[in-house]
Order: sequence, then C-alpha cells, then structure tokens
Amino acid sequence: MSLEKLCKLIEDGDAVEAKIVTGELLNKGVDPLKMIDSLTKTMAHVGELFAKLEIFLPEIMLSGEALSAAVDVLAPYLDATGGREVKGKVVLGVVKGDLHEIGKNIVKLILETNGFIVKDLGYNVDPLIFVKEAEAMEADFIASSSLMTTTMPRQLEIIEILKSKGIRDKYKVVIGGAPTSQMWADKIGADLYCYDAKSAPELFSAALAGK
Amino acid sequence: MATPYRHWEILERSRTGKFLDENDFLPKVFSPTLKKLIKKYDIKYDPKTPCPSDEGMADRIWQAAWDLFRDVGYYNTDSHRIIEIADAEIKEALYMAQGQYTVGGGREARVMKHRSIEDTQPPFCIMSPDITVDEKYHQSMCMAYLKEPLLDGLCGPILEETFGHLIESGGPSEISGCIQHIQNQKMAARLLGRPGVFMVAVGTAEHDSGQIAVSNNEWGVQTTDARLVGSLTEFKTADTLLNRSLHYAQYGSFTGNLTGAIYGGWCGGSEGTAITTVAYSLIGLVIHGAMFNQHFPFHLNYGSNTTRELLWSIAMAGQALSRNSKLLYTSNGFANAGPMTEMLFRETAAHALVSTVTSWQLWEMASTRNKYRNRATPLEARLGCEVGHAVARQGMTREQANEIANRLLAKYENNAADAPMGCEYHECYNAAKAVPTVEHMDMFRRIKDEIAEMGVEFLY
Ligand code: B12
Repeated sequence: MSLEKLCKLIEDGDAVEAKIVTGELLNKGVDPLKMIDSLTKTMAHVGELFAKLEIFLPEIMLSGEALSAAVDVLAPYLDATGGREVKGKVVLGVVKGDLHEIGKNIVKLILETNGFIVKDLGYNVDPLIFVKEAEAMEADFIASSSLMTTTMPRQLEIIEILKSKGIRDKYKVVIGGAPTSQMWADKIGADLYCYDAKSAPELFSAALAGK
Repeated sequence: MATPYRHWEILERSRTGKFLDENDFLPKVFSPTLKKLIKKYDIKYDPKTPCPSDEGMADRIWQAAWDLFRDVGYYNTDSHRIIEIADAEIKEALYMAQGQYTVGGGREARVMKHRSIEDTQPPFCIMSPDITVDEKYHQSMCMAYLKEPLLDGLCGPILEETFGHLIESGGPSEISGCIQHIQNQKMAARLLGRPGVFMVAVGTAEHDSGQIAVSNNEWGVQTTDARLVGSLTEFKTADTLLNRSLHYAQYGSFTGNLTGAIYGGWCGGSEGTAITTVAYSLIGLVIHGAMFNQHFPFHLNYGSNTTRELLWSIAMAGQALSRNSKLLYTSNGFANAGPMTEMLFRETAAHALVSTVTSWQLWEMASTRNKYRNRATPLEARLGCEVGHAVARQGMTREQANEIANRLLAKYENNAADAPMGCEYHECYNAAKAVPTVEHMDMFRRIKDEIAEMGVEFLY
C-alpha cells in the first residue's frame, strides 16, 4: 500500500477502495497531513483534466466522492492536529424563475473538491431562502447563479434582503452565470463576480481574506 | 400528433412512479447506465471522421438510446419520481408517429417531411438567432429573417425588455413581453407578405404562463405554429414544463421538444452525446407528444457544436434516427464565433453540411456561443440553408461531406476556445431596412465561393 496507490484510486474515482487504503496507510503510520496534501494535489490534477475535458463530469464526480471517502477516514486525525482546512462555507443556488442548473452544479463540484463546504439549494430558489439558509449554516458566502437577464434582479434582491435584515456585512455575496458581469456585480453591490467555475476557488479565498 | 392520448397516464406516473432523491438521479442512475450501454453496444468515436457512415453503429446507437430511455426513465423534479415507460409504449408511439406534417397557414403552408440519409429532398429550414435583442431591433430582426428566401419557419429573437420595462421571469412583464414578441413577429410577416409563415414561438416565454398567454388564433401564436418544451439536462422535467406540453396539445398547436445533450457533462463524450440525443427524440415523442425534436447538443466549455467531437455526435444521431424511425428532428447549430466573421460562416457551413447529409432538418444559427445580446444575424442562417439545399440537391454522400467538413475544420477548429466575437446585428445590418451591409455581403460571398470550390454546388 502506498500513497501513490491511494492517489490513483482517487483519480479513478474508486471510493470503496480509497476508504480501505486510507485506513491501511494510517495504520502504517503515514502522516495524515502528508496524505491530505497529496490528495489535494491529485484532485487539483483531476480538476485540470476536467477543465480541458480530457475527462468528463461523471468521472470528476466520482473522484470527488472518492476524495470525500478518504477525507472522512482522515477527519478525526486531522481535526486533532488542526490540519483539516475548510476554506469557507457556501450556500449556492440558481435564482427564482431560472431552471438553468448546469453551471451551478459545476461550480458546486469545483468548490467542494477544493476544500469548501457547499450547501446546494438547487434551482428556482427564492432570494429569502438564500438568506435563511446562509443564517442556518453560518455561511461565509451566499453564491447565486442566474442564466437569464430576466432573473438577474433576484440577485439584487438577495442583497436587499440582507440589508433590510441588517446583516449585509456578515456574508460575501457572490454572483455568476452567463449574462452576469463585473459591471452587474458593481451595480448591485455584490462582493464578487466569477466568470467561470475554474477561477472560483481562488477568487473565493481571496475575497474572504479581504484581498 | 403522436401521444396526446397518453398525456394523462404520463402525468399520473409523475405522482406514482418510483421515488428517488434528485441528487442521485444523474450520478447514480443516468451516467452509469449510459456508460454501460456505450460498452455493450460498442459505440466508438473516431476523431478522423466528423461525418461517419457506419450504419451498423447507427443502428446500435438507436438500440442504446431506446434502452437508455426505458431503463432510466424521465425524472420529475417536482414530485421526485421517475416516469417510466415500457417497450410497448415506445413501439406504439413510433407506430402512431407521422412522417410528415403540414405547418404554417394559407399560401405559406409547408410540409416538413422525414428525411433519409443522403436524401436529395432539401431540409426544412427553420431560421433563428436563438438570442436576445434590444427592444429597438426586435422587429427589424424579425423582418430580416423573414426576408430570407429559404426560410420555411421562423423562431424569432427574444426580448429582454418590453416598453422600457425589464422582463422578469414569471412576472407580469413577461406576459406583456410575450405578447409584444408574437405581435412583432406576426406584423413583420404580414408587412413582408408572408402572413401565414410557420413560427416557433415565443422564446420570450420563460414560464408556462407566458406561453399560455399568447395562444390565440386571431392575434397570437396560431394552431398552425409550433412551440417548444425543454428538458432539464439530462432526462429531467418539472411540472412547469409538463404544463406546457399539455397546454400545447390542448390548444392544438404543434409541439417541439427542445433538448441540448451536453458533451463533457453527464453524457460524457461524443458517444454518450449521440445516444442521449437520440433518446431525447423518444422522450419528445412519448412524453411530450412532440411533432418534432429540436436538438442542440453542445460542448460544455465552448457552448458550441461545430467542433469535430460534436459534429460526429450529430451525424451519428441523425443516421440512427433516420434508419430506425420516421421522426422529424431539427439540427440547431451553435457556433463559437460571432457575426460577420469568416469563422462563423465556415462553422455554419460545416454544421449544415454534416446535418443535411445525415438526414436532419436545419435550424440555423446560434452565434457567439449563444451568449451575447444582438450577436446573431440572418446571413449566417442563409449560408447554412443554402449549403443544406445545395448538398441535398447534388446528392452529396457522407464520404464527400466528411472530406469537406475536415477541410473546413482545419480552418477554424484551433480557434474554438478564442473565437472572434464579431459584430452586433446593427453593426453588420442596416437595421432600418433590415438588410445586410455591403461589407457583410462581401464576406458572405467570399466564403461561399470558398465553399463552392470545396465541392458544394450552389445553384446561384
Ligand atoms: C442549456 C440551456 C437551456 C436548457 C437548460 C437545462 C438545465 N437544466 O440547465 C433548457 C433547454 C432547459 C433551457 C431552457 C430555457 N432557456 Co436556455 N439556455 C441554455 C444555454 C444554451 C446554455 C446554458 C448552460 O448550461 N451552459 C453551460 C454552463 C456550464 O455554463 P454557465 O451556466 O454559464 O456556467 C458557467 C459560468 O457562467 C459560471 N457560473 C454559473 N453560475 C455561477 C454561479 C456562481 C456563484 C459562480 C461563482 C459561477 C457561476 O460557472 C459555470 C462553469 O464555468 C444558454 C445559452 C448560454 N450560452 O448560456 C441558454 C439561455 C440561458 N436560455 C435562454 C432562454 C431564453 C431559455 C428559455 C426561456 C427557452 C424557452 N423559450 O423555453 C427556457 C427558460 C427556462 C427557465 N425558466 O429557466 C436564454 C436566456 C435569455 C435571457 N433572457 O437572458 C439563453 C441565454 C440563450 C439565449 N442566448 O437567448 N435552456
């Protein structure tokens, strides 16, 4: 059993085996921090393959699941050493009136595989639900997707509700989706606009760090 | 229409079918089943042949598509249940399907008829920008499309605003926007002297209420017209969508089933995209009672279908459908480049050429990745439809089409990721008169000559 083998299992999306091998490696005394480091690199590599469509959505999904299975085994050890880094908590959904969910699903996957915890609210989601769910989860980010100019005003409504409740500054508000833009983000006072899913993890982290 | 007589039974299955968490449907049911079927039926993509002629594989794709629909079913996201269909029901619907329909009214009535592979009968040509436009250009653009001689049907541009009010999905401004949309389109048709022309309308309707509001034989979408009902990618529906197909059937207009299987997404690669596209035709027929299927498979990253991996899927899906059914299906082009670029004309030509020889009807042409307001014009649709008519008339074979497609691809495929955005409608059309600018026409003619030289025999 080697760390390389575990990484290969993640790449192949084999959650069952990945879980077993992770346990074995821990028993052999391999450092969980070192393991998580390798696994993160593997997942970044898988992400690159997907970005170039050398692999497809079902494959990266399976890799994501295999990674989660391995991280579940590692969690107690990592928590003990303080090594389990959660980069941020996100509520994510497609705004009310909009059924275009593909982009949102990809964003979810990319964020999750990069160390964010994501609560997926689905599509056709009322602005108030975004806010309530963010409060319930104590989220860092409220991220909404809109694919139609006719549903973009719902992104503004999220911000207005936050202001009405006096909690605007508790969350970073992120927007995305084909018709949205930096200009729209500026206009409605969103904290962040992402052009695509690839760039999201880095931009989210930077926004949280206040850069 | 094929299946309205089953609508009630199908709607009921939305409530009584097997329960499944939506999160499990695609990763645990759809994709694994599709993967197994690709293997079982030995479906293999070959990048060298964007327009293949492997009929054995076409028949296997048909079988795989049938199995996929029967084994996976169609998921209703509102009831969280799977609508399941039996073999006998698919067979019955295919037996009842008509191979041709007369659409549009009066002098402008046209027949849309099932096509065979390498058919010499020209494709039925629906033209559409597939895009939103500024309110001030909406009617001009409708006019400009209706001026196209080869247009058999029009799906007009989409409005974002109505009399200065932003149209909001599901709200009252959408109802008004939808009425404005159809009236602009019908008025343009009357002014041009094509009052009965077939329309697929209205794209401005994002909600079922918007569609229902425009059903009117005196001033709205007529029963000689068609409307679309979408699927949620992949193989999912919702009550708001089923409301549409039921309403269309009850109103008596034609139904088109709008689907875009995504290459790189849940379908995986070219093989899965081809199978899923064929399966969607069965879904359209059996679930929505569709008269025709309007397919726009597209590339997850590019948002286009003119690169070889997508042309292959289109070519194989067309052959599978043609050889095994009498269904009607339009091939909706999605280009990377924008208006008044040489690349867009070449992409459109490749899409139309491959689609036509592999039995599709044409639906041309979404430009600039179908993403940017005002970025589509009738001129690229004209080129696509002229290519379609020419290659049908000359009886072009798939082998010849493959060779020409490869030559066209060589000129543009490396630019798929960073294609030029070109112009907006009013920059390459005289919007007041709804005619292309001289510069735009010159480019059109130049690229048409280039394509003629490759072996496409244009009449004029
Ligand atoms: C596929 C598609 C559909 C499918 C949707 C299937 C599904 N379940 O999602 C179907 C057929 C159902 C459909 C239906 C309709 N559609 Co549609 N559709 C599209 C299309 C072609 C592609 C969208 C897509 O999935 N792209 C692929 C994904 C991966 O890209 P993406 O969504 O942009 O996401 C990426 C980034 O934007 C970003 N991102 C996205 N969201 C977020 C959020 C955050 C927080 C972050 C960080 C990043 C991020 O990351 C993603 C990955 O990089 C677009 C055109 C386009 N080019 O966008 C039209 C489009 C969105 N549709 C349009 C229309 C008009 C409709 C219909 C009204 C058609 C009709 N008349 O019935 C209906 C509306 C239904 C409704 N109420 O929502 C119009 C909207 C026009 C407008 N007013 O703005 C568009 C723009 C086409 C056009 N140019 O006119 N459609």
